[in-house]
Amino acid sequence: MLPKIEYSCPQTLEELFEILEKYKEQAKVLAGGTDLLVSLRDRIEKARHIVDIKKIKELEKLEYREGEGLVIGATVTLRKILESRVVKERYPVLWEAVRTIGDMILKNRATLVGNICNASPAADSAPALLILEAKVRILSREGFREVPIENFFTGVKKTILKPWEIVKEVFVPEPPRNHFGRYLKMMRVMSEDLSVVGVAGLGYREGGDVKIRLAYSSVAPTPLRIREAEEAFLKPGTIEEKIERAVQIAAEKVSPISDVRGSAEYRLHLVKVLTRRLLKQIVEVV
Amino acid sequence: MEKKKIIFKINGVEKTVEVEPNKTLLWLIREVLKLKGTKKACERGDCGLCTVLLNGEPVKSCLVLAVEVDGSEIVTVEGLSRDGELTPIQKAFIEHGALQCGFCTPAFVIVGHWLLNRNPNPSREEVVEALNGVLCRCTGYRPIIEAILDVAKKRK
Repeated sequence: MLPKIEYSCPQTLEELFEILEKYKEQAKVLAGGTDLLVSLRDRIEKARHIVDIKKIKELEKLEYREGEGLVIGATVTLRKILESRVVKERYPVLWEAVRTIGDMILKNRATLVGNICNASPAADSAPALLILEAKVRILSREGFREVPIENFFTGVKKTILKPWEIVKEVFVPEPPRNHFGRYLKMMRVMSEDLSVVGVAGLGYREGGDVKIRLAYSSVAPTPLRIREAEEAFLKPGTIEEKIERAVQIAAEKVSPISDVRGSAEYRLHLVKVLTRRLLKQIVEVV
Repeated sequence: MEKKKIIFKINGVEKTVEVEPNKTLLWLIREVLKLKGTKKACERGDCGLCTVLLNGEPVKSCLVLAVEVDGSEIVTVEGLSRDGELTPIQKAFIEHGALQCGFCTPAFVIVGHWLLNRNPNPSREEVVEALNGVLCRCTGYRPIIEAILDVAKKRK
């Protein structure tokens, strides 16, 4: 049973901001509802007013512009992203990550912006967005700001978002030319589950060098990009030495916990195994 | 709590109902419209037994507020058959014995319909993936998968 709530469904951003400013932290934004309604039912989140943003036209955009990048609006469902050819072809690591979020039914409701606003350490879209260097476009009545996704998460289920602001859209710039990217996700079961550990990685050639990017889910209070491991990969050595260096640094930088999905020790082991596996795939392809 | 008036179509029939905002679509279907084919189980989006079609797409009705369906079209398992004739999927479930306790069957039938509508000739892997949001607590997945594949095969 859900607690008592009020509900509104504004048609315009103007109406939305009026409601958000009136209720502030007592208002919660509803898009797909696949996280919000569970949190309300479990009394993890409290809200007096639920504001449904699905009727606001400005938030529906899923648009790619050659040479610029991809815009994913706040109400774009995971289903739409999965069905987008341009996402599959140009942003394969994002497509692969989205494919692993929730199940095939939830994807009809759940949104990518909701996945990052929920700010779970296990958010599967986050590692992919981190290595694609996505920008979070935040809107309020006061104005517009664009924040690198690396600065968006502040803790478990916490972001920089103020109660009167919304994420209008996520912007994903054009990835490096001829890059290869993948999201490896370890789950307890074969079909669908939250990650025990997830690793997104991409590699590309610049000059003679192979450059890499690495980011993780479920290994720290927030989704985590590990730039130190990326930089260590650039230092001289054989490919095997480079990979092992990156693996070691990644293992040092994560701070996994033990929970129902796995122990801290197992997660640390998986960080090493998955990082090594992913980097081997990357150096084979690029 | 202030009630909201919503107008929607369910199984082809238009309804006008007043609901409190904290009620789910699942509650609306079972407790107001008395359509008991849609099952209430985990109530947190994990098991999928409350799955119905909302504007043609399967959704878990425990994770949709009733007020959200204003202006929408809903189909439950009761709305699939025409003139008392079962659909090919329903018949295939019977032929294949694709049920044990039967509690998850309406949800699998709904998802099976959706899958074959959008992908008339799915591979086994595609069927398995499409069904990953519905839990069969008796673990009788194999005949369910085979029933859906059989319908696709017979249509060819």
